[in-house]
Amino acid sequence: MPRRASTPTHPVHIVIVFLLVVGAIVGGWFVAARVGDPYRTIPSLDVTAYLENANSLRGSTFKVRGGISNQLSWSPDGRRLYSIEIDDNSPNDGTLVPLLVPEQFKRVNIQKGQTYYFEVEVIEGGMLQTKNLTKA
Amino acid sequence: MKPSQSRLQKTNNRCAATFSLVLSVLFTASQGLRAQAPESLPAPVPADDRSDGDASPSSPSSDGSKAAESGGSTFLGRDVPFFNPGNEIVSWDGKHWNINNNRIFQARFEKYLNAPEETQKEDTKYRDILAQILNLLAPHSISPGDIDRAFQMLPAAAAYEQDARLCDSLADAVYSAWAAQRNQRRLEAANAALEQEMRRLEWNAQIAGRGQSFARPRDEGSAAEWDRAQAQEQEMKMKPYVRRQTEIMALMVQNKAKQELSEVQAKIEFQALLIQLFLQRRFQHVLIGTRFYRYIFGDGDTKLKLGGDAKRFFDSSIGIPPTVGVLDSLANEAVRDVREGVQAFEYLLDKAELESATKRLAETFIIGEFLPEIRTLPREKKRQALVFSQKANQLISAIEVKDYALAEKLVTELEIIAKDFDNSKALAAVETARTVSTMHIAKARNAAVSGDRATLEAELKAATEIWPRNPALAEFTTKIFDQTDLQQQALSDLERLISQKNYRQIFEDRLRFIAAVALYPERQNQLQEILEMMQKIEAAMIRADEIARRGDYAGAWESAELAFKEFPDDAKLNQLRATLTTKAASFVESLSRARELEERDQLGSSLAWYLRAQRFYPPSQFAREGVERLVHKILPGV
Repeated sequence: MPRRASTPTHPVHIVIVFLLVVGAIVGGWFVAARVGDPYRTIPSLDVTAYLENANSLRGSTFKVRGGISNQLSWSPDGRRLYSIEIDDNSPNDGTLVPLLVPEQFKRVNIQKGQTYYFEVEVIEGGMLQTKNLTKA
Repeated sequence: MKPSQSRLQKTNNRCAATFSLVLSVLFTASQGLRAQAPESLPAPVPADDRSDGDASPSSPSSDGSKAAESGGSTFLGRDVPFFNPGNEIVSWDGKHWNINNNRIFQARFEKYLNAPEETQKEDTKYRDILAQILNLLAPHSISPGDIDRAFQMLPAAAAYEQDARLCDSLADAVYSAWAAQRNQRRLEAANAALEQEMRRLEWNAQIAGRGQSFARPRDEGSAAEWDRAQAQEQEMKMKPYVRRQTEIMALMVQNKAKQELSEVQAKIEFQALLIQLFLQRRFQHVLIGTRFYRYIFGDGDTKLKLGGDAKRFFDSSIGIPPTVGVLDSLANEAVRDVREGVQAFEYLLDKAELESATKRLAETFIIGEFLPEIRTLPREKKRQALVFSQKANQLISAIEVKDYALAEKLVTELEIIAKDFDNSKALAAVETARTVSTMHIAKARNAAVSGDRATLEAELKAATEIWPRNPALAEFTTKIFDQTDLQQQALSDLERLISQKNYRQIFEDRLRFIAAVALYPERQNQLQEILEMMQKIEAAMIRADEIARRGDYAGAWESAELAFKEFPDDAKLNQLRATLTTKAASFVESLSRARELEERDQLGSSLAWYLRAQRFYPPSQFAREGVERLVHKILPGV
């Protein structure tokens, strides 16, 4: 019995499928990224401006993503001072900035090499003080 | 004492006396004094006033004696010059000379030694005339005719320049004496006439005094009257004769006084000339004069009419009363002595014993400067003595001024030309001075090395006093002066560089400055501080260079920066720092921004920059300190 000739896949369909797959991947990545940043509504810290004149940013809240570089100091009441290395896929990646972690986060175990999302406020003296932090 | 010994001693005494007298004259002439014998001689006085037989009461002499007693200027000064032949020292007026070391004598002697011998035709003629005069006046053959001929030759001798008109003076003296004698004869004739007149008057007075031929009255009263009349008449007749006799007696006494005064005056003038000639060492003229004197004044009285210092001068010199005969013998002795001295000189010269030869000639010259033996001595021979004399005088002067180097050189030269030269005293002086001076110089050198300025000065002074022209001293002082100049220059430079804070230049010339401040403790401390500072800078620079050589420019910069903070004025360090700044620009910029923001109290930004710098150069002291400082501010109380 003669077989009925199969219908060949149209190349247009292949391209469309490819585009859909890529779109799905990019969209998934985008969504995933958006979903991983808990402070996606907060503007990122302009590190360049901060380095130039931190006082100009005083009172503002920013988000910062960075890895713990070093614990510079700590106080008996639970305040800690870290240097973090900016890691936000910006030209300022790798820049070290000081970050003050107040006593309210004293129970958070922060270790060197860990990456966090920080919600920070620029306080007196241009210091970045953590308002919230989330492990990335 | 045997008679021969006595005679010998007298002869020796007389020689010494002659020498002493003549030397006195030399010094009198040297001092520009004229022979003053006539002034000290007694002035003519009436015979009655000379009853004590001494001419000393004359007023000038008395004045002179008083002056001498009061210490004023007298004949030949306060003291009579005295020559001691034993040590060749002349003492006069409280001063002492060595006759071989007297400037005026040296000058006169050297003039003589350089003068040509007087053997020209004129000189010979002059000496011949003097010899003829002396021959004519020789005591053993003298006659009135010889006296006249000798007198006539005096003007001829005086015509020669070398005579200095002394023969004219002699002729004048002889003529004056003869005139005085003629005057005496006239006075004698006048007195003879007065004597005759006296006798006539006495006769007339006797005649006038005889009685009258008239008879005496017999009456007693008339007789008494007659006697009175007779007596009165006799008195009236005799009175003119008696008055005239008195007048004649007075005239005779006056003439007698004039006669004696004239004779004494003539003698004194003649003696004064003789003494003057003797003192001028014109012994030939003295001999001529004494022979004229004896002939003119044949009364046997040849005693010199001296007084005061002049008398004492002769008495103390020759020990016997001065007479014309003494002058004559002294002059003869001087002539003989000069002749002998010249012979000794020539003999010693032949033996190349120049020291003795020169001394003998000098002694002979003092006595017989105007005698033919001295005047005719060939210049060629005298020049040899001159060379020795000049060198010997130079030697004396060199030792006097302590120029022992020159003295040593002269001693060597004198030893070559004079076999009899005694170098012991000169060499002893030289060696002593050299030893002592060297000792002081050595002490001074040690003091200079140890920086003992006081001892250095004291030893240099002592060495200079001993031997001012010591070559070793000159060399040492030149070094000292040069070093002092360099030292002063270095000290001046050091002051300037310190004021400019140019410590780098001080460090580079440190060896010069270290030497310069050796004697200045305060500056030593100052220099030491500067050098220690510069050593720190140098160490930092060396360290920076080493670090930079490993490619760690940030570390090198920080090393330089640390030194720069302490020593910001060092140009070389600045230059290195600038070079390293360009090579470690990011690190330097981070630190710079960090400091700048820290100053503006921007703790966060500043800490971020410090952290950045620390990332560039983890061992950074500046970054670490900055971080620590800011952390302490952010978390106080930690």
